[in-house]
Amino acid sequence: MTTLTDRYVWAAARTLPEAQRAEFERELRERIGDATDALVETGRAPADAERMALVELGDPAALAASYVDRPLQLIGPRYYLVWWRLLKLLYSVVLPISVGAVLLAQLLSGDGVGDAIGNAIGVGLSIAVNLGFWTTLVFALLERSPGKGAADLAWTPDMLPALPELSRPGRRGELIGSLVFLGLFALVIVWQHFGLPWVGALETTPLLDPGLWSFWIPYFLVLIVLEMLFAVAIYVWGWNWWLVAANLVLNVAFVVPAVWLFTTGQLINPEALDVMGWPWGDAGDVIVPIVVVVVIGVAVWDVIDGVIKTVRGSRAGAMPTLGRI
Amino acid sequence: MIDDETTAGHIQELRRGTVVLACLVRLRQPDYGYALLESLNSLGIIVDANTLYPLLRRLEKQGLLVSEWNTEEARPRKFYRTSPAGEALAEVLTTDWRRIDDALARLTTGDDR
Repeated sequence: MTTLTDRYVWAAARTLPEAQRAEFERELRERIGDATDALVETGRAPADAERMALVELGDPAALAASYVDRPLQLIGPRYYLVWWRLLKLLYSVVLPISVGAVLLAQLLSGDGVGDAIGNAIGVGLSIAVNLGFWTTLVFALLERSPGKGAADLAWTPDMLPALPELSRPGRRGELIGSLVFLGLFALVIVWQHFGLPWVGALETTPLLDPGLWSFWIPYFLVLIVLEMLFAVAIYVWGWNWWLVAANLVLNVAFVVPAVWLFTTGQLINPEALDVMGWPWGDAGDVIVPIVVVVVIGVAVWDVIDGVIKTVRGSRAGAMPTLGRI
Repeated sequence: MIDDETTAGHIQELRRGTVVLACLVRLRQPDYGYALLESLNSLGIIVDANTLYPLLRRLEKQGLLVSEWNTEEARPRKFYRTSPAGEALAEVLTTDWRRIDDALARLTTGDDR
């Protein structure tokens, strides 16, 4: 045997378990030898024939894998869907909870909002990478282990997704909920001016700065009316990209002034702060950022939710006819 | 027009099972890999060496072929022979092959009985 064949056989056999190696090497030498002889018979020089035979065989690692039925993909069809479902589940449950927890912990420990968000993003990235890596590693090992598995997370009809709610009866509940919530919100804004009887200290003191009645409180009340009209528009037309844009504008119009007034101390009535005994020790450092994060988070989620519903609705373009049957 | 790659893919699909059957029938007479490859190709059963060698190994692992090393010549060669289990499978596959052939014949002549 010449060196080229020896090198090929060694390169192919070294990836195999020790027990299979001798037999495999012998078989491979037979195959290379026979293929080379056949080429020599067609009139080629032995060295050329050997080289051609090896080229025909291809990558030794791939050849060895095909001899011993070893998969050449990381995760094959047997586990791919289970792997993909589990990964989506982990990313949609574990990731937001962990990032939220880190964010909250950072804010509670008195870090600045910027630091806290930066840290939360860093931790989020590292959790995302770890979740992806370890899950994939386990499945890659499963793929390479003998025997059957994957029955535990097998598909059942219960896993079918619900059809997107495009019919009006499905949206009616949403409309009523929105109108009731917005109505109560407006009522509280007006009512707080005359005191909030269910909050002991604020029986007669307005919670919001009375100076805001000159512009900002009417502004928010008008915004609430617009939100109500928006809820009706959703009910009548369903989600579309125009309404997504309107939703974004409304949210920005609400959150930006509200956060600005709140953080610059113009929102809450100083007298109300006095009677409540604000600031409550160090609590202010924690409560203010939490309120800001929650308000911004709710608004961002509201916009994203609208986008998701619009995409689902347009993706199921053919569904309305089906829904009416 | 169907492109060549699609055609080649479907032809490969169609031939895949027939190569197993051809090996099981042909190896009633013991033979080694390269000789089998030559004889199948000369019969018009076109099979690639990269398909045949792993297939022989797999059939042996499934107990459908048995093998023996022949070391009488300069190059040791592994001779494969169809086992009784392989013989039984060959019979089942042949029956099925005939049934499919009949069905396709009826389908193309339009006689649906």
